[in-house]
Amino acid sequence: MRRRDMSEIHPVLVIGGGPAGLKASADLAELGYDVVLVEKLGQLGGAPIRWGYKTLAPELRPTEEVMGPLIEYVEGNGNVRVMKNSVVEGATGGLGDFTVTVRNLMNGATESLKASAIIVATGFEHFDAKVDPRYGYGRNPDVIGIHELEGMLKEGRVVKRNGDPPKRIAFIFCVGSRDKSTNLWCCTVCCGVSIKQAIELKHLLKDADIYMIYMDIRTFGLWEKLYWKSMEEYGINYIRGRVGEIYAIGDKLLVKGEDTLVRGPFEVLFDMVVLAVGMEPGSGTAQVARALNLKVNEFGFLEPRHPNIHHDSGRDGIYLAGACVAPMSVEEALAEGSAAAMQVAKALRRLQRAVVK
Amino acid sequence: MSQRKKKGEFIVERNYVDDQRIIEPEKLEIGGVDMSGRWGLLVLPRTIEDFDHSLHAMVKNHPRGRNIDRCWQCGNCTAACPVAEENPLFNPRYLIYIIKLGYKLEIEKFGNYVYFCGSCGRCSEVCPKDVDPSGVMEAIGTALRRKP
Amino acid sequence: MERVELGKEEVEVKPDQWKLFERAVFAAKAKLTYGTVEEYLKMLERMKELERNGEITVFHVEEEFEPVTVKTLSGRRKRIPTVELWQHKSCGQCGHIPGYVTSLYWIMSQLGVPYVDDTNQTSCTAWNYYGSGTSNPVALTAVFLRNMHVAWERNAYPLIHCGTSYGDYKEVRFMAVMSRELRERVRQILKKIDRDIVIPEELVHYSEWLHVVRHRIAERKKYDVSNVSVAVHAACHTYKLMPEDYTYEDDVLDGVRPAPTTSVALALGARVVDYRNWYDCCGFGFRHILTEREISRSFAYFRKVQPIVRETGADVLLTHDTGCVTTLDKSQVVPLAHGYKETVPVMSDSQFAALAMGAHPFTVCQLHWHVSDWKELMTKMGIDWERRLEEHKRYVEEVKKRVREPEFIRSPGRRLRPRKDSRELSS
Repeated sequence: MRRRDMSEIHPVLVIGGGPAGLKASADLAELGYDVVLVEKLGQLGGAPIRWGYKTLAPELRPTEEVMGPLIEYVEGNGNVRVMKNSVVEGATGGLGDFTVTVRNLMNGATESLKASAIIVATGFEHFDAKVDPRYGYGRNPDVIGIHELEGMLKEGRVVKRNGDPPKRIAFIFCVGSRDKSTNLWCCTVCCGVSIKQAIELKHLLKDADIYMIYMDIRTFGLWEKLYWKSMEEYGINYIRGRVGEIYAIGDKLLVKGEDTLVRGPFEVLFDMVVLAVGMEPGSGTAQVARALNLKVNEFGFLEPRHPNIHHDSGRDGIYLAGACVAPMSVEEALAEGSAAAMQVAKALRRLQRAVVK
Repeated sequence: MSQRKKKGEFIVERNYVDDQRIIEPEKLEIGGVDMSGRWGLLVLPRTIEDFDHSLHAMVKNHPRGRNIDRCWQCGNCTAACPVAEENPLFNPRYLIYIIKLGYKLEIEKFGNYVYFCGSCGRCSEVCPKDVDPSGVMEAIGTALRRKP
Repeated sequence: MERVELGKEEVEVKPDQWKLFERAVFAAKAKLTYGTVEEYLKMLERMKELERNGEITVFHVEEEFEPVTVKTLSGRRKRIPTVELWQHKSCGQCGHIPGYVTSLYWIMSQLGVPYVDDTNQTSCTAWNYYGSGTSNPVALTAVFLRNMHVAWERNAYPLIHCGTSYGDYKEVRFMAVMSRELRERVRQILKKIDRDIVIPEELVHYSEWLHVVRHRIAERKKYDVSNVSVAVHAACHTYKLMPEDYTYEDDVLDGVRPAPTTSVALALGARVVDYRNWYDCCGFGFRHILTEREISRSFAYFRKVQPIVRETGADVLLTHDTGCVTTLDKSQVVPLAHGYKETVPVMSDSQFAALAMGAHPFTVCQLHWHVSDWKELMTKMGIDWERRLEEHKRYVEEVKKRVREPEFIRSPGRRLRPRKDSRELSS
């Protein structure tokens, strides 16, 4: 009679190479566990890297400061096997002994793997504003999403389609959020991100006039600082209301809405409109829910056993982390990645301690 | 004597139409047909079509108006204001808002109510963001008088 | 108390509860008619069910009406009959814009489309309802079903000219199908005039008919309109009341705005221009033209005509409803007296299509009733309007002097036989 040693424990499968998945992989690797990290796309980093987030709210620190070391550690660590362009197609078994099928999306080959536990961190997708025709997104070239602006800010060049710098810019909050015709929930971060971007725009385009069209400002916690700063130091304007239609006239955009404080309609021409698009569970999350037979809630996010305990998927040996459970910021996703890794470590320690005959 | 009492008095829902929007010429004629009065009246739209930040800039440069940009429209000032308690048309929060965004028609309608401010300073005591609304009222008054 | 037999059930209708009942129907309407696509589809299912139970007759768009299928906003397929049409005329068109309906008849006679221009049609009375909130669901439904029954007897498919009637009929049809009490009330009324409940499978607006025959119209085009820029105003009554049921086409305005009229202008080869306030009402409003003419007139000018002219320089503004043509056209007089310069001719899609097909601009299209200036447009289209106006004046003079008979547009010979002998057709 003896106890299992580390080498008898199968690797931990992490699905999704964004902030939560990377953090979980890195933490487990550091604890000495083998990890298989499966990522749907050809690069690690998730949404922040895919869309080229320039900085992170609330302190406007470069995204690389957070994501760089994580990606480097995971890719350089011998304990983590990274499988890019791959998806998990199914899993049988349970804690300590899963058999997982992984398909490579490039060549179609499937591979069968053993895994001791699974962490699902499939993240979110930015709301596709084409779905909501009122903004003319996809038709009007100068109507962009915050994820696209982030990339432009990173390049240090924000211009209209015709090459001119925009003089008057509107941010429209809650696009694809808090709306019965699209998504019902609040994405929690778009207020903060939009305000962060407005400040960065002011650095880049000093003469630009920026108008934030909002229903409520939800810069929770310490992100509130951004909100105050944007008004007091950067003179960014806030209009309370919601936009009903964007209509292109020449190379300008006519934004129609109501100023609910004035109780009257406005129709003002802007050079550029930035849509604070919300977060959706995305196809990756839906796919993994089917493959692993996980519960999804009415919104399409993965549903934990207990609403306040995100990491517990309700299936033994499968843990959840990050924005596949609910909309959240990068900082929260990182914390959830760590939390899920801790749960896995705990469960595997119990397995190791179990006596093998 | 047939003196007109009110501009566009026969408009059915007259209370919804601001005076400033009614065009009612004394004499109107087309092709020799007299169209004065009721049949010749026009009402301009009330849609806000632009921001005019000129007054806002003047207020910001005024020593007591310099904190106007801090305002986030919570309404503590109006809640504490003894004048607003009596006069619904004097609303310091609203005055700050329309000056900040430069809504012309609203400023035309409500700008002069700024002089109702009694300068008691109660608003400035309760303001959570140190806007000093009482000072901003003074600055708005000055800006309105100076505006070309 | 009256007792009405309904299959095996009996429905009680207490006269003293009428008011209460009407209020309940209105409440149901508010909940249902402004509901969702699913609710609308549910109503169509219910209609089939009622037909199966023998409770109502559904007037189907049979093959003999040579239907063309279109897509509606809800994605549902709708069959638009193209021949043997029962012309459900519009009070305002016949009264204010006579060229509107004559143009439509003229196009039909050119295309060889048999139709019935029935003198036995009543007003839908919906303007009364939308305008002032008077009338009630029972009366509105009774008038609707009475007209539909007349069309059914004539064996001609109702083609509704008026946007208001069209919108109203869609709403009351919804109520009639969904509310048994309403049906029973109306059945009692219909019995008195020896009629019963016939509900058309599809309610069809004439603009949808023009839409489906647009290529045939374009084939017969006499004038080149490729240099004409057209702005289109879609009528609230056609596409905002029960929006699920109006025609949309993926390749017309991205499929997010109503297709008819725009599609006709495009098929004729005209350039369609877009403008900022496309969604806005013409100014007619639902009651505003009755009670607040100043607002109606100002809205029509400042929110529609002025931006259209300033931003697009359109040569003509086309629309497909009675109220819209009237308001957009007549409201240009006062602003011009005020010294505003922007002006654009306004007409219906049927008038524009007929003009392009070579219809007489005055004898048929009757543009002389329009206030806004159409002369420039005529010249641009290559129509010698001065000569044609002289012709028309001469014609009118001759008719007055009785040296010639007035001309009439007549339906090509019908192929379908009426369900009832014409001698029986009365009331």
